Amino acid sequence: MRLRMTAATGVFALAAAMVGCGSADGAGGDDDAYHVVVLGGLSSEGILADNASTSVNAAQAGVDFANDNGGVVGRKVTIDVIDDTGDPTVAVSKLREAIAENKPDLVLNSGPSTVAEATLPILNQNQILSFNIGPTVNSSDPKKFPLNFDIAAGADQQIAAYQDHFEEKGYGKIAILHGNSAYGETFGSTAEDLLTKSGVEVTVREEYDVAALDMTSQLQKLEASEPDAVIVDAYGAPLGYILKGVGKLGWDVPLIGNTSVSSTSLTGAAAPEGIVGTPEAKSLVMQVPSAAKRDPAAKAVNEAVERMLKHGEIKSSMVLAMNYDALPLVMAAAESADSIEAADLAKALENPKVLERASTALYDDYGFSSDVHKPQDVSREYQFIAPSVLKDGQFQ
Amino acid sequence: MTLIWGGLALGAVYALVAVGYNIVYISSKTFNFAQAQLMMVGAFLAYTALVSWNLTTPVVVLVAAAVVAGVAALEQVVAVNPVRDPHNILVTTLGAAILIDGFVQLQWGSQPLAVPFFAGDDAVTFAGGRVYPVELFLIILAVVVVVALTLLSRRTMTGLALLAMAEDREAAQLRGVNVRLMAFGAFVVAGVLAGTVGVFVGPKTYAISTLGASLALKGFVVLAIGGFGSLPGTLVGGLIVGLAEACAVRYLGSEYAHLTVFLILVAVLLARPSGLFVRVRERVV
Repeated sequence: MRLRMTAATGVFALAAAMVGCGSADGAGGDDDAYHVVVLGGLSSEGILADNASTSVNAAQAGVDFANDNGGVVGRKVTIDVIDDTGDPTVAVSKLREAIAENKPDLVLNSGPSTVAEATLPILNQNQILSFNIGPTVNSSDPKKFPLNFDIAAGADQQIAAYQDHFEEKGYGKIAILHGNSAYGETFGSTAEDLLTKSGVEVTVREEYDVAALDMTSQLQKLEASEPDAVIVDAYGAPLGYILKGVGKLGWDVPLIGNTSVSSTSLTGAAAPEGIVGTPEAKSLVMQVPSAAKRDPAAKAVNEAVERMLKHGEIKSSMVLAMNYDALPLVMAAAESADSIEAADLAKALENPKVLERASTALYDDYGFSSDVHKPQDVSREYQFIAPSVLKDGQFQ
Repeated sequence: MTLIWGGLALGAVYALVAVGYNIVYISSKTFNFAQAQLMMVGAFLAYTALVSWNLTTPVVVLVAAAVVAGVAALEQVVAVNPVRDPHNILVTTLGAAILIDGFVQLQWGSQPLAVPFFAGDDAVTFAGGRVYPVELFLIILAVVVVVALTLLSRRTMTGLALLAMAEDREAAQLRGVNVRLMAFGAFVVAGVLAGTVGVFVGPKTYAISTLGASLALKGFVVLAIGGFGSLPGTLVGGLIVGLAEACAVRYLGSEYAHLTVFLILVAVLLARPSGLFVRVRERVV
């Protein structure tokens, strides 16, 4: 009986080891190394796959940056890529396997927020430091997840940037059109709240089904409210339907897209693949982080782009390259704490001086604090641009 | 009127999907879950042929119809023909739909692709509303397809044989109808239709890998409202769904669009369980 149990245990352990080996792609197993795992839906459906590819590519480039600059307190940095297919259940099972095989020191979550929702409790339980691109309701709350930092700016920061744009253009009445995705709903309600508080009149906030094939009805409703401009949240084909709808109505209204709009391939390619140079695009401007707009003088960003290109094509805009900055942040935190323990690094990341010292590329200063683990005061890092050709993740 | 045109155009797309479902249903008493995906392939082929190969629209229609008919024939041979129980065909055609989704994503990527329309992409004012030429064309196409198929089914031997199969497959077989060949033919015809229609749906919806999934469910709702097996029913059902969606979004809010459509479905099924255009006949055993 004991022999049978031992044999069964042995077979199980071997199988577990084999499954673990097959679950990740990359380096690992070096005991002295600082071990990073990046989760991304590389084989997910739709344009999410391209976004995941860019996020993973950015993480790999960030690791290269770290290794070329002395590693994390002298330790070499290794990275494993886990394709979670954008599915929370897959992400959970693969992450558990990865932790059982070789517990990572850092996990980079490339979104969507459903994956973050499922994996954050596991990371918390295992005391693993993490950076997250897909924010959830509680992901930036240090009381709930003390070791997690949302690295992408929330809707509040992006909307704060709109106010300056409205003042500059003299828009006083704004309509909001957003999708019924989790992000779209958060964006829509946050935009309405913040703009109303700042004295901007929100004439109407209208939601659309992200699977809808026509937006004429929603746009007619907005048109009837006579706004000076329309804030648009749209990702993929819905942006095309909105532009077609505006063209059909003959409605001459400025459209101001959010970062979802600038992440859509249509805004980065000339016709017929995209909308650059078409009459529909004339009324559209979109919000991008400065890193997504080509600037020969932005050395750190251009270095990040060069490093990312070594890992393959940058399929989406640099909006999705936030994982790159996770490594410089960890390097600065580890240097300050003289430790790679997750709790020590998290505490260091709440220190403004450490954040200032970090050689980040996408945001100058992330503004994490002991009260909130998401970027603060980064609205100045955004600008509004017309659609233009996207090359190497940057609008030209 | 702009709202009406938009609703009718969308309804025409739903109706054209439902017509494809019906062609297969009439011949095999089962559903081809991959019908909307076949239409999506037609839209992608239209993009490639019009934009990359610079072919003319008539040639593109022929290419799309032939290729998608081939895909449908392959589906029938691999996923339908070997299956004895019609209930299992629901699963195998669903598998075919997933395979087509994956193939399309690998071949054309996951980004929306703009498909040009032969009559231009500028909106026009028509009968008191604003409408794109492709939207008017889709409404006309849906009517023409339904009328033509209805006439064919009632006035040709092939059509009558199909109706006989739908009525009683064994009796039709005893009367000399080659039911296996007819079932195969129905799949191919549904493929030809999907390929042809895809060329004109693409300019309205973009060629995008999620198009099949977006259209599949609405196609079934249209079928249930109009009546399984009724071609005029698909046209009326499609236009009802399209108009209901457009009006619900405009006057109630987009969150009520699906609710309104499914309330209509429930009301129709309560009043006429077989759909608007199919009469329930009692059989004495």
